[in-house]
Amino acid sequence: MREILPVADAPDVRRYARRIARRHPRELGASLGLHALAAIAGLAAPRLLGSLVEEVAHGTTRSHIDTIALVIAVFLLAQTVLTRFARYLSFRLGEKVLADLREDFVEQALALPVSTVERAGTGDLLTRASRDVDALGWSVRFAVPETLIAIITTLFTVAAALLVGAWVAVPLVLGVPILWAGTRWYLARAKAGYLRENASYAEINATLAETVEGARTVDALRLGPRRQTRIDADIAESYAAERYTLFLRTVWFPVVETGYLIPTVATLLIGGWLHTRGYASLGEVTAATLYVQQLIDPVDRIISWLDELQVGGASLARLLGVAQVPDDRTPTGREPVHAEIQAADVRFSYLEGRDVLHGVDLQLRPGERLAMVGPSGAGKSTLGRLLAGIHPPRTGEVTVGDVGLTELPLDDLRGHVALVTQEHHVFVGTLRDNLALALDQAADDDTLRCALEAVDAWEWVAALPGGFDTRVGSGGRPLTPAQAQQIALARLVLADPHTLVLDEATSLIDPRAARHLERSLGAVLSGRTVVAIAHRLHTAHDADRVAVVEDGKVSEIGSHDDLVAADGSYSALWQSWHGDGVGSRG
Amino acid sequence: MKDLPLADPGTPDLRSPGRYLLFCMRAQAGALSGAIAFGIAWMVAQAVMPALIGRAIDQGVAAKDTGRLAYWALLLLAAGIVQAVTGVIRHRFSVSLWLNAAYRTVQLVSRKAAQLGATLPKRVATGEVVSVGANDVAHIGNSVDALGRAAGALVSFLVVAAIMLSASRPLGLIVLIGVPLLLIAIGPLLKPLQQRNLAAREMQGELNNLASDIVGGLRVLRGIGGEEVFHRRYQVESQRVRAAGVLVARLQSLLDAFQILLPGIFVVFVVWLGARFAAQGRISPGELVAFYGYAAFLVLPLRTATEFANKLIRARVAAGRVIAVLRLQPEITGPADPVPAPRGNTLVDAASGFVATEGQLTALVSDDPDEAVAIADRLGRFADGDVTLAGVPLAALDLDTVRRRIVVSDTASTLFSGRLRDELDISGSGATAVLDRAVHTASAEDALQALPGGLEARVEERGRSFSGGQRQRLVLARALVTAPDVLVLVEPTSAVDAHTEARIADRLRSARSGRTTVVVTGSPLLLDRVDRVAFVCGGEVVAVGSHRELVASVPAYRRTVTRGEEDER
Repeated sequence: MREILPVADAPDVRRYARRIARRHPRELGASLGLHALAAIAGLAAPRLLGSLVEEVAHGTTRSHIDTIALVIAVFLLAQTVLTRFARYLSFRLGEKVLADLREDFVEQALALPVSTVERAGTGDLLTRASRDVDALGWSVRFAVPETLIAIITTLFTVAAALLVGAWVAVPLVLGVPILWAGTRWYLARAKAGYLRENASYAEINATLAETVEGARTVDALRLGPRRQTRIDADIAESYAAERYTLFLRTVWFPVVETGYLIPTVATLLIGGWLHTRGYASLGEVTAATLYVQQLIDPVDRIISWLDELQVGGASLARLLGVAQVPDDRTPTGREPVHAEIQAADVRFSYLEGRDVLHGVDLQLRPGERLAMVGPSGAGKSTLGRLLAGIHPPRTGEVTVGDVGLTELPLDDLRGHVALVTQEHHVFVGTLRDNLALALDQAADDDTLRCALEAVDAWEWVAALPGGFDTRVGSGGRPLTPAQAQQIALARLVLADPHTLVLDEATSLIDPRAARHLERSLGAVLSGRTVVAIAHRLHTAHDADRVAVVEDGKVSEIGSHDDLVAADGSYSALWQSWHGDGVGSRG
Repeated sequence: MKDLPLADPGTPDLRSPGRYLLFCMRAQAGALSGAIAFGIAWMVAQAVMPALIGRAIDQGVAAKDTGRLAYWALLLLAAGIVQAVTGVIRHRFSVSLWLNAAYRTVQLVSRKAAQLGATLPKRVATGEVVSVGANDVAHIGNSVDALGRAAGALVSFLVVAAIMLSASRPLGLIVLIGVPLLLIAIGPLLKPLQQRNLAAREMQGELNNLASDIVGGLRVLRGIGGEEVFHRRYQVESQRVRAAGVLVARLQSLLDAFQILLPGIFVVFVVWLGARFAAQGRISPGELVAFYGYAAFLVLPLRTATEFANKLIRARVAAGRVIAVLRLQPEITGPADPVPAPRGNTLVDAASGFVATEGQLTALVSDDPDEAVAIADRLGRFADGDVTLAGVPLAALDLDTVRRRIVVSDTASTLFSGRLRDELDISGSGATAVLDRAVHTASAEDALQALPGGLEARVEERGRSFSGGQRQRLVLARALVTAPDVLVLVEPTSAVDAHTEARIADRLRSARSGRTTVVVTGSPLLLDRVDRVAFVCGGEVVAVGSHRELVASVPAYRRTVTRGEEDER
């Protein structure tokens, strides 16, 4: 099973919410206060209308009617102005909180151990970075303020209704158990139901995307009918999920409607009965009925935002969860005494109980060029990553100058060793941004140019219309995989650590060009220690030493000529690569 | 409700976006009439409620007549129950309509994508088709769903009009003309708000892309540093989004205030006039309360009507995108009257002179890799060309027969998500022995061992949990399982290390012995193990022989396969 990134639990989420509230006390207080005043201003109309009805029934003057109408208008104006500022303040606060949240999230994501990200899959983190940030945005911008406003309005409306007469409490209380029980039933089921629904649509989209992206494969292997069956199965699942939530609403909607209806009818009946007995005036009955009706809107808004709030809370929990991943680096403050990297009896596993490395010993000689070869899955890349301090070993140690690599803070680590893999990610931004990733200060054009020349990339970069300021990455100018690898290598030249680990770092470049690149790169990196993992044997041939990694161990190590002479597995491979007697030296 | 997915999504009307929407509606005429009928009942039940409250106050409360009060209160209760019940029935019809239209569209588009095959990526961007599934489908569903409510809104508006005009002609007219005017008055504020909202959403989208970019490149960053730089960049962008959000808030709060003010002014005006009329005895106090209710209620049907208009506009745009995809036709099709398939399996490409002899493992090497790919495309009839199978032109054969007899597995071949066993054994023969043999030939055992559950484990989307080399070997295993008469492999081992490549080459040879196989490659390890190598220069075969013969006698060949090593030494 895949280990998913942690999700914060309910107390953590509440604690975080309280911390945010305390962080902005003035803004929060001001917006709540204004909303309360706006709600009060909105309550004048029914009361005044009630007295109008009363006076009309008993006969009144035109000027009196005009006065009451004018008073209603003044309250309306007050409500308008108050609402404007209350809303503005709460929106602004929402934007602030949201910005804090997403920035915290990205900061934490940037500090995640790579091993955790890989185990969980980038997909989970990507979903959090986009869908959860969006869902939370929706909640913070709309659901939270709307709910708060609705709660305030509800409270004041109830108070106003009770001011008309204490008897209004009776019809109001009649509605509460219906609404409470119905909504509780619904909410207990709704979240899971809607999550399932969303997941089913994500699945439909994924299947459609796969069919479209793999259209040629679908054609070549006659997979059309299978893809049809698949999408139909996804639709069937989506339909089942939809039917379930529809069932929930089929029960819940009428219950809630009844919960609204009964208080209105009861207010009329009870009020009318009290009026015949002389306990309530016509105006009071009218005002009470109108207040009870006016309650429907805010109560309905509270109820309908509840599941949005649940969704927002779930997203918040997922965003906060990222902060709970334990760090796999433990800075001790020790300083390396020399620049030699050494691995001693290193074992490592991605999955518990399945070691990928079985006790590797390797000492890098400063300034040497070491090639690592071996079959896929033998542990070359894993060893490369341990040598670059990306993961701590399970047992044994990887040290630079006698200090464990994962004891160093990330920034210090990069001063010693850096890793470039075949993963060719071009970041969104200018070419300059992409090159200067690891540099603190802005790099001048000459430095950048030298780095690009070292990786044979200056020619095509100089030919770009925008030069260093050309926008690249998703949505920008597309780079070929080979160009992306050159950029990755140029970054490395600029970062200039004393030890470099290149994991298939030239595999996407045309073989002939790759060899040229490796030689010009070698010239720039002279004096640096280079570990090159490669499946092209010419890389091994050009290296000072070759390490053959098989089954999680270094099985052979030595110079190319020594290993060929030793007649082991490297020698066999070399013969095969060249074909007996074809182009080999003897 | 009908059972979904549909067994047959039908033949859509592609003449125009409007006609496509009509096609979606006509296909479910029954549910549509249900949604309209109950939509009307639901809205009308709501519409009569203020009038009932007005009567209850007049005839019951004011007149102190408990019998009449109970009568009108019961009617109010009945209207409320009718509203609740018809409302939920309408909702059910409506959801059914939405789902039917949305699923139908997904089914049509996905069937089209499968039919178009290799033509699809050449004609439309992947993202466009995917956004059909993600967005357009919902817009089409929304328009169908809103239709029922729009019908209810229209009828309820007329009912309210009748009630009010019968109570007071001038007041009725004021409400009937005033409410639409109100909505029009709010209109001008909506447009800039929508624009700013759109701008803010776009910025939020860019911010999300930046976050995704950071997350996607996390491993690269960890290798070389730069976390701090990216955190700062994200902060700057995030604050820009916040500023844009505050701009939206300024307009949004203004709009919210206007939505209180405009109807409010109107209600005040109606109440003021109504009270004067009531004082003159032209209307009753209860009718005054009813007018107050109507001035507020009528906003609802009018809003529904505008919402429907908006949704219809969006749905037309969405339908336009859908029919653009559905109208596409495959580039390569089989003939109307195909000739029977021949027995033999010798494949000949006339343009290049390339021959894949029956029962042999032939390698194709080209000085220009694109030429080799073009030949492979012609051999598999992904592009038109003068290619014959045992003397019969491929173009004269049924396309399905060609695909069954000749399987081309190129570098762009993708794995699909699902149980690994099913994704490798695409014909569904189910024989584990066959699968094991293919996995062994492709030397892909390590990919299986890494998975909990082996063959029963689930492959992620596009096989992204596998490394590039593992993916390539699994794709090779899948092609081998199909065991076609002719197998064309394009660079099957480009992402595989030398050790493994040598092993695959040996095993491939024995696994395909006696069958026709073509390998497009430049790797000496593979070339050394095939029956015959054809060397293509400038799009034509210039030399044929064994790898070693060609290395010895053709300098251009030697340069191509030894990757320039010879020249430098």
